[in-house]
Order: sequence, then structure tokens, then C-alpha cells
Amino acid sequence: MNLKKLVLGAVAVAALAAFPLASGNPYYIHLVETIMIYAIVLFGLDIVVGYTGQVSLGHAGLFGIGAYTAGVLILKLDAPVYLTIPAAIAVAAVFGAMLALPALRVTGPYLAMVTLAFGTIIQILINEMTFLTEGPMGITLTKPTVFGHQLDETQYYWLVMACLAASLVFVHRVLRSQLGRAFEALRGSPVASDCMGVSVYRYKVYAFVISAALAGLAGSLYAYSEQYISPNTYNFELTVMFLLAIIMGGRKTRTGALLGAAIIVMLPKLLDDLEVFRIGAVVLAVIVAVSVAVGLKRGKLAKQAAAIPVVGSIALAAISFKLQTMTDWRLSIFGLITLFVVYYLQDGIVGFVRNALNLKAKVDAGAGAAPATALTRASSQGEAELLKASGVLMQFGGLKALNNVDLVVQRGSIHGLIGPNGSGKSTMMNVLTGIYQPTAGTVVFAGSTVNGRTSSDIALSGIARTFQNVQLFGEMTALQNVLVGLHHSFSSNLIDVALHLPRYLREDREQRARARALLDFVGLGALAAEEARNLPYGKQRLLEIARALALDPQLLLLDEPAAGLTAPDIKELLEIIRKIRGAGVTVILIEHHMDVVMSLCDRVSVLDFGQKIAEGLPAEVQANEKVIEAYLGGGA
Amino acid sequence: MQILTQLVFSGIALGMIYAVIAFGYQLTFATSDTLNFGQGDALMLGALVGLSLVGWGVNYWMMIPLVCLFGAVQGAVVERIGVRPALKIKSEFGWIMSTIALGIIFKNVAENVWGRDDLKFPSPLPEAPMKFLGANVLPMEVLVIVGAIGMMLAVELFNRKSIYGKAVVATFNDRDAAKLMGINTGLVITFSYALSSLTAAFAGVLIAPLTLTGATMGAVLGLKAFAVAIIGGLTSGMGIIVGGIILGVAETTTGFYLSTGYKDVPGLVLLLIVLAVKPAGLFGKTAIKKV
Amino acid sequence: MTKQIWTAVALAAMAWGAQAAEPIKIGVSGPFTGGSSSMGVSMRDGVRLAADEINKAGGVLGRQIQLVERDDEAKNERGVQIAQELINKEKVAATVGYINTGVALASQRFYQDAKIPVMNNVATGSIVTKQFEAQPENYIFRNAAHDSIQAPMIVEEAITKRGFKKVAILADSTNYGQLGRADLEAALKLKGITPVAVEKFNIKDVDMTAQLLKAKEAGAEAILTYGIGPELAQVANGMTKLGWKVPMIGSWTLSMANYIDNAGPGGEGARMPQTFIQEPTTPKRQSFIINYLKTFNPKNSRIESPVSAAQGYDSVYLLAAAIKQAGSTDGPKIKAALEDLKTPVEGVVTTYNKPFSKADHEAITANIPVMGEVKGQRVVYAYQDDFKKASEVRVKDLNAKGALEQKKRQ
Repeated sequence: MNLKKLVLGAVAVAALAAFPLASGNPYYIHLVETIMIYAIVLFGLDIVVGYTGQVSLGHAGLFGIGAYTAGVLILKLDAPVYLTIPAAIAVAAVFGAMLALPALRVTGPYLAMVTLAFGTIIQILINEMTFLTEGPMGITLTKPTVFGHQLDETQYYWLVMACLAASLVFVHRVLRSQLGRAFEALRGSPVASDCMGVSVYRYKVYAFVISAALAGLAGSLYAYSEQYISPNTYNFELTVMFLLAIIMGGRKTRTGALLGAAIIVMLPKLLDDLEVFRIGAVVLAVIVAVSVAVGLKRGKLAKQAAAIPVVGSIALAAISFKLQTMTDWRLSIFGLITLFVVYYLQDGIVGFVRNALNLKAKVDAGAGAAPATALTRASSQGEAELLKASGVLMQFGGLKALNNVDLVVQRGSIHGLIGPNGSGKSTMMNVLTGIYQPTAGTVVFAGSTVNGRTSSDIALSGIARTFQNVQLFGEMTALQNVLVGLHHSFSSNLIDVALHLPRYLREDREQRARARALLDFVGLGALAAEEARNLPYGKQRLLEIARALALDPQLLLLDEPAAGLTAPDIKELLEIIRKIRGAGVTVILIEHHMDVVMSLCDRVSVLDFGQKIAEGLPAEVQANEKVIEAYLGGGA
Repeated sequence: MQILTQLVFSGIALGMIYAVIAFGYQLTFATSDTLNFGQGDALMLGALVGLSLVGWGVNYWMMIPLVCLFGAVQGAVVERIGVRPALKIKSEFGWIMSTIALGIIFKNVAENVWGRDDLKFPSPLPEAPMKFLGANVLPMEVLVIVGAIGMMLAVELFNRKSIYGKAVVATFNDRDAAKLMGINTGLVITFSYALSSLTAAFAGVLIAPLTLTGATMGAVLGLKAFAVAIIGGLTSGMGIIVGGIILGVAETTTGFYLSTGYKDVPGLVLLLIVLAVKPAGLFGKTAIKKV
Repeated sequence: MTKQIWTAVALAAMAWGAQAAEPIKIGVSGPFTGGSSSMGVSMRDGVRLAADEINKAGGVLGRQIQLVERDDEAKNERGVQIAQELINKEKVAATVGYINTGVALASQRFYQDAKIPVMNNVATGSIVTKQFEAQPENYIFRNAAHDSIQAPMIVEEAITKRGFKKVAILADSTNYGQLGRADLEAALKLKGITPVAVEKFNIKDVDMTAQLLKAKEAGAEAILTYGIGPELAQVANGMTKLGWKVPMIGSWTLSMANYIDNAGPGGEGARMPQTFIQEPTTPKRQSFIINYLKTFNPKNSRIESPVSAAQGYDSVYLLAAAIKQAGSTDGPKIKAALEDLKTPVEGVVTTYNKPFSKADHEAITANIPVMGEVKGQRVVYAYQDDFKKASEVRVKDLNAKGALEQKKRQ
């Protein structure tokens, strides 16, 4: 499998390198060069859009910053190419970080608007700061000079190709590493990600900065390629083009980015030349029809879902024969394609083809290293009172979700927290893990205060949790989910990852082994390669536990782990929780299944309407009148 | 001093336009947690359709309700094609991209139908400026302020007094519960989009006589109106009026004292600052997300 | 059997087709959409008219002229891409066009490098033909009235003829606007005058209040402009809104249809240098106007940009004459022919008698343009004298006074 891909890759590279020699026409060389440059931007944009799942409408601005850094340095300082390109990367990265600062606070449409505002501001600044950028008059450049020799069209093409190859390898390695998993985790479930010690804020910033650096690189290459830059180019239309390219090509794939780049560069040219467009549209319709037929035959596609792409592509071909000039309608066509892709081709063309032809994305292998122990023995030294919450008040507007609650949990015990729905149990968990800041009161864990710290900070200091509504990273495999929990064990940085230095390779191997061991611990060893969202509900809950254990916690908070489980599953669960306690981990257990509570817990606290109404041994609490009343209502 | 008064008045008129568009953002956000990224283009279409109607001899005042009707239909179309499918598959990315795509399509169609040049919109009121506190104020600017406030009041009254308005508020508070109470939430969402585009189209014919009308007029307006919506808070009507005035005056004064090229910058920078410091806006309430 | 016959027929047809003369490709680069489009479309139509006439008369060297038109949208970077396409993909023999100075400046060097002549028929930035002055061969020619002529004419009209002492300059931020502004300042300096305000605006700007207020505060008696139609209209409208009306005198773009239409009554009275006014003052001009109106049928029988149309028309005839004289479509040969045109070319603007030489690539001198004025929603002769003498064709006069001295390009 690997060899085939390697050979295919080598052939593609050779073809790409030989192209300028074969064609000889500067116009076509320039065209392919532009595709390569856009592909570099798209690799970066894919990290933000495809992996962290955020819409960025400002990447044209970052691209422009790269181009103008190079342009201004050349204009003002006559800087050489080995200065301008790194400078462009650095400056764009700095701007990417600046963009991430407001971005860190918001998500979704807010983030989209922030990036749009940013992109607009950049365009205005470039336009107005004429003393620096020459404004609308633009900057004229020539191809770079290397060792006193000015590169001609073909040689510059090879320079761009080299940069493309380097970016490809870089992005590929980063995305396969713990950084890539962190990015995907952000998107799958920001809350879970924070609670697994992967700070959503920090990794969003990393994602942006990396993508900005790539956009900066592409921008500087673009400036040399076009030999003229002006502020007009880096506008909203360009940024939408980039987004369209990603979603059309396919997210989370490098091939998709390359394909997307080719489409957005070739499509306007195609539209200019009506004859060629018509031929292209017909060819496309044929390809889609064939893929759909194959997909239908193999039973992978539903009839209705299949009809739309076929109808759409045929309609496009038909329209192209009717209209006299397509260029004026270029943007409408892009808009329609976007709509189509967003709803029917969510995985892009690459994803569609893969699904139809039943090609699975390559899953991380990771051949067996020495099997590791799942849990490191949690420290049994230290305070006897592992967790002490005093006078916790959690108020939302007028509602007191937690009203002056005290909770003390002994190290090495399993402490139950029960109460009717809405009594404040999950709220308590959220306070303990930093998702809510308590309105009043303190929480002390292993001697240090917890309230006021961020969730990821708390997670890294030894409190792990599962969630009432399962918060797995759905699109990642079970193994990858656990690896996210193990994120804290990776100390290798970007350089280590990019260059595959020994430290990274070793860590990767070791942590994969540990992850496997954790999966085995909860009995999910065989399902390591399965996507989390495809797992049955019961197994998903177990996976959450495995992931939480990956944090090497001293305290594990389980929020209704038995909810929705069948009897045999519950037996398995009990076993696992006992093993966890056996490894020295303290557990706080929220549960409604009384038999689970009774058989596991050493102590039980009962909440009702935000207040603790009882506490003690399970049997005591079970017989407590106030408790019975809270659950069943007042006596007759 | 006279100049400053002039700039303040122009700024208020401008700010009112932003407020009306921002109001539209609030309407859809309230019921569906979505925004129409093509809001500016809804304004643009309203202005161009209005221009055509006036060109065919329809009186300006008669034209307004027609344009409002057009806006409502356009909004419903956006919701049906762009937002409803995305809500169904619960994809945030989906409605962002699709409303953007629809905006692009509308703009391109407008370019092809009305041409790429900017056109002059005949003013219904005399074009001679009036003197007010020593500054020149166009009658049209006054109409803009009156019209904008009038529209927002009308919608607020509707929300509070009529049963349909209450249905909208209910859907805002809890979509699923509203559904269970028999409220057709799908219709409510469609309605809110229709209303949102209606206000945008109305804003379009208000502002068209003051500026040039063309296919590109919507884009930056939409973005700045979003800034106003954020600054004011996506849930507060008062907030967007205040936000609009702040932004409008900031713009005209920057344009004069600094340079016209930079006039869009204060609004956008303010947007970034507000989002960084108080994402719920100056007047908004921070929402707590239940986990 | 039938198959063989058909194959034979096909082969014969192909052979015959190959023998038919290959057309001469001429590139046409201009803004056909956007704010500059009235100039671009008029230029293109003038070009088409000329090409049709020439083709009907048998073409050039027995070959038909084939126009390869591309819309540069007045964007410099589009111009660059189009230049590369026309040169490398379409392989044009020459290109006419460039409305916008910025687009011309950005794109011309590709033609220069490829040794393909460019006949600038509208772009007026002074340095357009000087860009490659330092090189042994310069492939850029022009048959429009450059800004070193227009700026002094504007200043002459404002300062000398109308007697204003305090003037403000309003120019757009493009290469055209800023280079033109520099020319205006230089011309004013020669008369010992400094403008009281110098303001800038961007393309697509709508609100000119700030700039106008500053000019008003400074006591300006007239506004000198360098911009294009839509924004100039907003300047006029802005003045109306402020209730402050002073004369607008500016570059030739005040003749654009979208200025006149959008400025309404506030735009009346604006004056600008023009090489061609839509009046049938000579038989050649008359037939040009009649043919143009008949072929393209513009609104109100008014050519959107008369200057662009006329100069576009002339540019093709100039190139055709050069190609004919050169006997080939080889770039250097066409250039050599242009620099030494042996037979006069009767154009709409003027009769071109040895319009170019090795050092001089400008066909229009300071004596050719007249002052135009916007009146009754059309462009007319500002001075009756000019109108009366219009039937006398003004030809190029190397000794014509009034142009700014061209500074050596750094």
C-alpha cells in the first residue's frame, strides 16, 4: 500500500517538474505556477477550516500581507529573495497571531465576521499607506536573483515547486502529529478538548499562525510570479475562492487542496473560452454519472442522494451550450457550485470519489511497540482530603444552581454524588473542572485552589472527567481520541514534528502503545481504528473513560457513566471503575442507577435544588427520609 | 464647529442605516441562531428594484411597500435554500457558506441585470440642503433617520403586542419547546428571514438617494452593520441604535480629520475590540452554554 | 466507398482551409465593465468600426484583422495577466488599448520584452510612452493627448482665461490621478500658483464631503480634477449638497457619459481638454459619427466617450498603415514602420503625417486638443472660436507651445 502511494507520488512530482520543459510556453507555465501557489495557501486554510472547523474570511488578507512584505522589502531595501520569503512568512505569522487574539474569544459566525473585518482592514491599510506600499499604484517586481543569476520563468517554477513540496511535507507531518489531533479535537468538541488539557484558545492560535505563515509564503511567491502587486487583488472574492476550493476539493486532504487550487484557477479561464468549457462540462457530467453508477452498484449511495449531483452536472453542461458568454456569470457559477458542494458534496470531490469507490482514508497504523501499562499508579501520598469544596455558590441570574455546597472527597475513594434531575450535580462537575467559575466559595484540590483557573489548566493538574452528553471527537478514531487525552505527554515542538526528529518519533511510538493499552483496559482494543461516532453508545461511554484516564488523573469525575447502558454493559463498567480505583485514582461518580451507586461508592452525597441534603454511607443515605422525599415527592 | 455639527448629522444619518440593517441581523439571530451573510446584498437588491420601479414611473412612496414585499420574498428564498437545509443537518459551516454563496449570486445577477456602473437614484425630496444648527442637512437624511426608527419601532411593537410576535420570541427562547407547543418553528424562522430582508430592502431605498446605487453597494454596508450589531449586542434593540450612531459619527469624523480612505477602519477596529473584550456587546447579555 | 469519398472531401477542405490567409491578430485591452467602462466600450467600438472597414476593403496585406478583446476591468493586475495571455497564448502582432494609466504602466513591459508594439489610444499618463525611453528600442506608442499637454491646458483655462487665483486639486488615488495631480502642480508652479488644497479620493468613493469642505475652507474658487466619471459625479453632487458651487475644470474624463448622467444639473459647465467633440465638423468626422451611431446605436445618439471612440478608431488605422508598410507582422518591423510612416493617415482626430519618430512616440501635440464643456447633457465646444475653426484639421506641430517639459524618468 505504502509503496504504491510512494510510486504514484514520485511520478506526479516528476511530471510536475517536467511540465515547463515540455510546454515551453510561459503562459501555461505561469498558470500551473499559480495553481501551486494557491495550493500552499489552501494547505494552511485547510488546517483552519477543515481541521479546526472554523470559517476564516480573512485569508486573502494574510496572502496579501505576504505579497506586500516581499514587495515593500524589494521596493524600499532592494532585498534579496532569501530575505523576502522568510520575512513574508514571519510577518504573516505575526499578523495571524494578532488575528487570533480577538478570534480566541468567539466561534462560528462571529469568528467569520472577525476574520472578514480583519481582511478588510488589511486591504484598506495596504491601499492607504501609500508611503509604504504605493497604494493603488502597486509595486512592480522582477523575478528573484539567486547568486547573481536572475531566475527565468522555468527556474522560478522549480523554486515554487520546491516550496510546494516542502509545505506539503510540513503540513502532512504536523497534521499527523499531536498538533493535528489537537486541531481536530477543537472542532469535535471544544469543551472536551479543554477538559483533556488541550487548550482550545492556544491551539486555535497555533492553527491560525501556521496557516498564516503558509499564506505568507504563498503571497511572497505570488508577488514574484505576477511581477506586479496591487491592493485590489486581496479582496473578499479571493477569500471566498479559497474557501470554495477547500470545500470543493475536499477537507482534510492534501489532494483535495491541490484539486481545489486547480479548479479555482482553471475555472475562470475555462469560462473565458466557451468551447473548452462546454467540453469540460460534458466530461464532468460523464465522470459524475460513472462514479454514481459505481457507487449505486456497490450499494454505497442512496438513490435520492445520487440523483442530485448527476442532475446538477448535466444541467451545467446544458446551460453552457445555451449561453453565449459565461464570464459575466462567473461568480454566480461559483456561488451555485458552493451551494451544491455545501449540501451534497460535504466531503468534497476527493471525499465523494473515495466514498463512491470505497477507498478508506489511510488510518494510522502504528505497529506494536512494547505494550505499555495503561495507568501509572496514581500517587497515594499526599493529603487525605484530595478535594475540598467549601461554600460553593453558583448563581445564574436569579437561579442558584448550587447553594452553599460543601464537598470533601477522600483520596482513593469512590464518592457518589446523587440527586434528582436539576439538583446541581453536573453544575458541580462543571465548577470542579473550571467550565463555570463559581459565584462564591472555594475549591481546593491536592492542596491548591482550583476556582479561577482554566479548564485545560485544571485538567493538566490532575482532574479528568467524562460528560453527561457524550463529548467525543466524532470524526477521529477511538485511538486518536485517547491520543488526545495523552496530549500532555508530548513535549516535542513544531520543529521536532516537521523534521521528524528522533524525540518526536519516539514519543509518537510510545504514546500510541499507551493509547492501545488504555483501550484494552476498557475493553475497546479491537475497535481502535473505528471512528468514534460509529461506535455503539455503550462503547462510546467507555471510550470517554479511556480518554479521561489518559490524562493520568488523580481524580476522575464520571458524569452518569451508566446512562443508557444495558445490564451486561453495566457489569463491565463496574469492573472497570473498580480497576480504576485499584490503580489509585479517586473517583467522583454522578449516577441515577442506584445499584451502581450502592455497589461502588464508599461515600455518597445527595443534592437537591442546589443544596446538600444528606451525606454518608450508601446504605444510610438510601434510607434517609429527606432523600426519599426528594426523589419521590412528599408523603401523602 | 460648524463642520463638526455637519459631520455629526451626516454620521447619525449614516448610523441609522447601519442600525436598520443590524436590526435585520438581530431578527434572524433571535429565532435561528443564524445570520444572513448576504444581508448587504438584500439591501442592494432592494435599492436596485426600487430604482427600476421608479424608472417605470411608480411614485417613490408607492414603491416602498412594493420593495418591502420584494425584500420579504427574497428573504424567504434565502432561508429556504440556504439556511433550512443547514439547520437540518446541524451544520454551522453550512449556513455560513450558503448565505455567503447566495449573496454572491445575487450580486452577480444584479451586475448582469442592472450593469456594473453605479446609478443615480432620483430623490423623492428636494435636494437642497436645509440649515439646522448651522450645518447643512439634506431632507433625505432626515427621512432616513425617521424611516429607520419608524421601522424598528414597528417591529418591536409587533413582537410585543401581536400573537405572531410572541411566537417569534418563544422560538427564540427555546426552539424545541416552542415546537412542542404547536408553534410552527420552521415558518417562524422563514418569517424572521423575510422580515430581516424586508428591513434591509427598506434601508436600501432609504439610503439610495444619498449615495450611488449599484451592485457593489451592499458588501461593506453589510459588514459595518454587523459591526453595529455586535457593538450593540445581538439581543438589544437600543444597543444597535447607540452602536449605529457611534459608528456613523466615528466614520464621518475619521473621514474628515484623518483621511477618507481610512473611514471604514474605526468601525472594523471597534468590532474587533468589542469582540475581544465583551463579545456580547455593550448592551447584550452574556449567554451561558449548558454542557 | 462513401467513407472514402467523405475522407477525401474532408482532406481537401482542410488543405484549402490551410491555404486561406491567416488573420492578423490585434489585441484589444480595456475596461469593458466597471467605472471606466464607458471609455473602454467606446474605444472598443471605435476599434471594431475601423477593423470592419479595413477588412471590408480587403484587409491588410491580403489578410483579415482579427481582434482579440479582453476586459481588464481597470485593474492593474488584470492588465498584467491579459498582457501575458495575449502575448504568449494568442500571439498577437500588436495591441491597441489601455484606458487606464495604471493598467498601461503595469502591463506594457511584457510587450516591451516581447518586442510587440502597443498603440496606447486613450491612457494619458505622461510617463506611459517614456517607461522604456532608456532602452535602445521603445515599443510603446500613443495617439492620445498626454497629461503634459492636458495639465497646462487646464491650468491655462483656470488661471489665465478665467482669472482664478485660488484653486483646489481633487484627484483619485490611482496612477492616473496621482500622476495627473503632479502634472497639475507643476503647471501651476510655472504660473507661480500653489493650490490651496490638494485632496485625494478612492475609486468607488461616494461621499466627497470631507475633501470639498477642506477646499471650501481654504477659499478655493475652482476645483481642478483628475479622476473618472463616477467619482467626478460625486464631486459635483457633493458640491450641490453643500450648497457650494464653484467651476470644475479638469482632465478629459469630465466628458464621460457616467459623469454627465450621474452629476445631473450640477455637472453642467465643467470644462476639459478634448481631442474630439461629437460634431460633424469635417467630412471624415461626419462619416465616422454617422457610421458609429448606425452600427452601435448608443442611447440618445450620444457616443459615451467620444474621445475614446475616435482615438480607438485612429489607432487601428495607424497600425494597419504600419503593418502594410512593413510588409509583415514582425514586431520590430512594425515598430520601425511606425517611426517612419511614409504615407499620411487620415484619422478622425487629425491627419497623421509622420506622427512618430525614433525619439518621439506621441502623435498628439499641444495645439491639437480644444476645450470642451458639458452643456445640455452633452459635450460641446467651450469656445465659439474653436467651433467655428473646427473644420480646419489641426495637425501635429512639433513646435507647439504649452506642453510641460518631460522630465527624464529616474
